[in-house]
Amino acid sequence: MEISSNTLSRKRRTTPMNILLLFLTIAGADDAAPRLAVIKAAPAVKLIDQDEKPRRLEDYRGKVVLVSFVFTTCSGTCPATTHRLARVFHDVQKRHGLKEKVEFLSITLDPERDRPEVLKNYRKLYDIESPAWNFLTGSNKQVKDVLSAWGMWARPAANGQLDHPSRVFLVDQRGRIREIYNLDFLRLPWVLQDLQELITER
Amino acid sequence: MRYGLFAVAFACVSVLPLSAETCLSPFVKRLDRPEKILYVYCVDADAKDNDFLAVIDVEKGSKSYGKIVHQLDLGTKGNETHHFGFTDDRSHIWGLTLFSGRIFLIDVATDPARPKLVKVIDDAGGPADLGSPHTAYALPGRMLISFLSSKKGALPAGLAEYTNEGKFIRKIAFPEKSPYGYDIALRPDLNRMVSSGFTYYDNYKHPLAKMDFKKFGDEILIWDFRERKVLQTIKTGGAPLECRWSLKEGNNYGFTNCALDNSLWVWEGQKDGKYTARKLCDVGKLPADLRQSPDDRYLFVSCFASDEIQQWDVSDLKNPKLFSTLKPGIQPNMMHTTSDGKRMYITNSLLSTMDRSDDFWVKRAYITPEGMRLDPDFIIDLRNLKTGPARGHDMLLN
Repeated sequence: MEISSNTLSRKRRTTPMNILLLFLTIAGADDAAPRLAVIKAAPAVKLIDQDEKPRRLEDYRGKVVLVSFVFTTCSGTCPATTHRLARVFHDVQKRHGLKEKVEFLSITLDPERDRPEVLKNYRKLYDIESPAWNFLTGSNKQVKDVLSAWGMWARPAANGQLDHPSRVFLVDQRGRIREIYNLDFLRLPWVLQDLQELITER
Repeated sequence: MRYGLFAVAFACVSVLPLSAETCLSPFVKRLDRPEKILYVYCVDADAKDNDFLAVIDVEKGSKSYGKIVHQLDLGTKGNETHHFGFTDDRSHIWGLTLFSGRIFLIDVATDPARPKLVKVIDDAGGPADLGSPHTAYALPGRMLISFLSSKKGALPAGLAEYTNEGKFIRKIAFPEKSPYGYDIALRPDLNRMVSSGFTYYDNYKHPLAKMDFKKFGDEILIWDFRERKVLQTIKTGGAPLECRWSLKEGNNYGFTNCALDNSLWVWEGQKDGKYTARKLCDVGKLPADLRQSPDDRYLFVSCFASDEIQQWDVSDLKNPKLFSTLKPGIQPNMMHTTSDGKRMYITNSLLSTMDRSDDFWVKRAYITPEGMRLDPDFIIDLRNLKTGPARGHDMLLN
């Protein structure tokens, strides 16, 4: 089932199509095998955000979280990933019922350069003022441990950049990874559909 | 909006691989330089020693250029090591097996020239009641595996997903009336996957002459990938094997080689969203592998039983043309084209039960504007290794 971002827009929230969509979503959530399989438990995250406030992923239970891994000086996939996520974020912020249940976390791949004040400025580039999207960093060891636990890595590349996998993790309300996107799958209507399904799961 | 500037900057981010490296999952990180290493997945031909991964130096100017520089012992024999594939981050190879059902997880990032076996999953398909793992297809952070058989070696075949660390996630069953499996290929921008159908363990375990040729697949399945749901079943020639989507964004078609029909078929998306399939052209005997040129113009098909590789110009789907033919030696099978599309590595073992010659090798061809030409200076003899003769099958570059 594919839905457009318009299908879920605020203005049309109460159309028969949306009522049907909600019904299908709830019905799907009751199935023994949901469309979004449980991939594995999301590893722990204990870092600080752009305001130097401690952040732990376990504090987000009851919320659906999109966890990305980027670094601010990346000239490869990171800006494209953050841009796509920003589209999702700004769309989610317009939707009552969704915005209260969805959070975004972007974890740096380059803790040495991406200190809190750098992340604060990077956040502004994408018009992110809401507390629902935080950028995280920590000591080199803390970040390295988080990357390793999530199966992520960052290595110096020949061009002076960091080589790294491009993945965005969708974590459900119970702290389980339910989807892993790369840019190919990070499409607004698809992500919205996935978020909608997860927030209505019981 | 300030971030609107980024919208302009990234509006052109392609959903298809930016690199020319073809025939890998679109989610696999591409090489950004010429290849240095060729991995060849080998069966120990006399079954006296363990199966292994051969590491061949293919870096121009290297002292050991054109030589096997390492053999990674996989710890067991008789696996029928067959196809393998990179994880999305290219850090590991998943090596699959058609007889033992094992999956080997091999670290190729720490030291690409000396890969390390980090995990063996015995009875990998067990949790899904599946056996004979065939295609290892990378998804972001996961592997999608196509199995040819049930756990008992019969039908139905099926698919299963695993984390990159090897943890089973879920089974994806085939429709009851379409129980054959072989290859899988995804087009993320279309949210469509195609799967094809060969035969199952209890049939292919026999020598070729004793196989039941009525028990092979003859259709492809079109899937809604996000739903993991079959939308259509489409009839093709006998034994459709490799699935290759067109590499160009906007093109909604792809190709498969039908081994028992000696033909190439094309599947094409229609305006109503449905797909049709038709025979594109007749080719040589027993087309076993199918590869693409990076510019989407040519298909390379290895014809195992007529000892040739054919290069077809498919730029006009209504009028495909045989562009060149290469005779690399007996029973050519797997091919692997380089990221610049100028070279092709070739092996010549299909299956222990199907090979008709013991003359095993790895060769290389140049792909020139005039067609294919064998490289006379690159021949790896697989008959006289320290472990005896080896059947080389699938290949990957690093």
